[in-house]
Amino acid sequence: MADPEKAIEAVRTGLSCVLDPELGLDIVSLGLVYDIRVEDDVVVIDMTLTTPGCPVSESLPLEAQEAAQTALLMTPGLDARVDVVWDPPWTIERIDPDAAREIGLRV
Amino acid sequence: MGAPSTPVPPPGRKPSGPLGAGLPYMGPAAAPPASLPLSFLFAAGVGLFGFGVALAVEARDAVVGPTLPEVVATVHLAMLAFLSMAVLGAAHQFGPVVAGGPLRSVTAGRVTMVAFTTGAWLLPYSFATGNENLLVVAGLIAFSAVCLAAWNLSGPLSLRVGGAPIEGLRWSVGFFVLTATFGVVYAFDLRHGWFALYSHVVLAHAHLGLIGWLGLSYVAVAEKLWPMFLLSHRPTTRSATVAIRLIPPGVLVLATGLLFGWAAVAVAGAALVAGGIGGHFWSLGGFIRHRKRNLELLHAFILTSAALLVAAVVLGLVAGLADVSSTVRSRMVSAEVAALVGWLGLAIIGHVHKIVPFIGWTALRAKGVHKKADGKPLLFADLFDGRVARVTYLTATVGTVALPVGFATATAGVVVAAGFALALTSVLVVANLSLGPSRAVRAARQAEAVGGATVGGARPAAAGAAAGPVGSRTAGPPTSTSTSHAN
Repeated sequence: MADPEKAIEAVRTGLSCVLDPELGLDIVSLGLVYDIRVEDDVVVIDMTLTTPGCPVSESLPLEAQEAAQTALLMTPGLDARVDVVWDPPWTIERIDPDAAREIGLRV
Repeated sequence: MGAPSTPVPPPGRKPSGPLGAGLPYMGPAAAPPASLPLSFLFAAGVGLFGFGVALAVEARDAVVGPTLPEVVATVHLAMLAFLSMAVLGAAHQFGPVVAGGPLRSVTAGRVTMVAFTTGAWLLPYSFATGNENLLVVAGLIAFSAVCLAAWNLSGPLSLRVGGAPIEGLRWSVGFFVLTATFGVVYAFDLRHGWFALYSHVVLAHAHLGLIGWLGLSYVAVAEKLWPMFLLSHRPTTRSATVAIRLIPPGVLVLATGLLFGWAAVAVAGAALVAGGIGGHFWSLGGFIRHRKRNLELLHAFILTSAALLVAAVVLGLVAGLADVSSTVRSRMVSAEVAALVGWLGLAIIGHVHKIVPFIGWTALRAKGVHKKADGKPLLFADLFDGRVARVTYLTATVGTVALPVGFATATAGVVVAAGFALALTSVLVVANLSLGPSRAVRAARQAEAVGGATVGGARPAAAGAAAGPVGSRTAGPPTSTSTSHAN
């Protein structure tokens, strides 16, 4: 049976390679990933977007899904699922401050 | 013994998505194929070039005789081949995206593009050459294209979706048909002389098109684009409601007053329009105040174009209300129309630097191009040259500001400069936004030749289908919920 903590960490590492194509920052540093947890044999990722209906509102969650599943390839028995949530709405305070300043966001 | 460089799935376990090949198609599900809006926008770029050149050539006549055939031709190049072409492209992209429903027919969209391009160039040509038969044919072609576009866009726009963007687009498409109908009536009037083509009748037509169709489209779609592009979330959208609820009736009343020469009615309509524009500025102020990004190039385009709108309002008030000679009034009216063209033109040029890279990025990912030559992920900003974009802002600003100045002062030389600046702008924009994606594809092919990755091997799939179960235990796109998370 896979170690849930290791699976969550692997998924988080995988998600940190998923970039918002406009801001150039990964979705973990952006604070878009609210929660990663294991439910039965599925790693569930709760994520949001910077703006409802943003240009990548469909592509970014799919890319996150792809990255998470790739991260779990070496973990037998586990799959991944991304749920897009809107509550609470994303705010600038969720972003890593150093990363925000680096790309010119107003923290 | 180190970890393998490429993950190897355990025996019997298949990855739920392609590994190493192109990612599945990831564009918004309702949006049309990228080639459709991009074809309109490319044609608009060519239209801007044509307008710039025509303006430079006809400048001397334009400042003294705005109703001369060659000048009318130049104006129609701006209205049809540049501005309307660009807004049609945006409507075909954002109408479905905003409403969450597809066009009725992508083929109809392509037919619209070809027919409208034909009409948009034939009409000015027939004005300039005085060919009345060709004028009627061109008018009918353009009118048919407008009706086809309205039918096609009615698909997404008739969905039970609310909000300022959708409401505004519904009105603006209606004004598009009304403006085109006006134009067709003109074309037949030239042959039959049903009514005298007084200048206030022409102005009614101009304001229907500039404010009702083009301006309202921009005001509506901006409410959708600015939260995304400016990364700005306002606490209330009252300002958008004010804009969308006042501009349409204002344009109708204004156009009616102008058409029949009823000054009081025209003033009442102008007041409503001004109120709606005030709502639009209130909205813009809110987006700027709540933005999360530092000021960047798009802000410059938006704010400069807004200044041109202010100038247009002032010039319109002076032309309508001030006690001035007919010569001065004529100059102010020409300058007002020029300022409105500048407002819209500069806004379009600025926003395409965001819109085209996004559409192109989505299309490139569908072809399997998602990394740069250095192996880093491909971003929107990699699809155009920022330095060229900044130069474009300068040339576009010179052109759009010089235009009303030249007409207000009746200085042909300034209008010539405006024409050349706008023509140069079109070359810069089209080249910059076309070459970026081409470079990305070339870089990907080079990486393919070196590393053996496949470009173009992954075929676009329905959004969410190829990536396996996402958001639920059954295949489908990620679910969207309102699960509450404690901060």
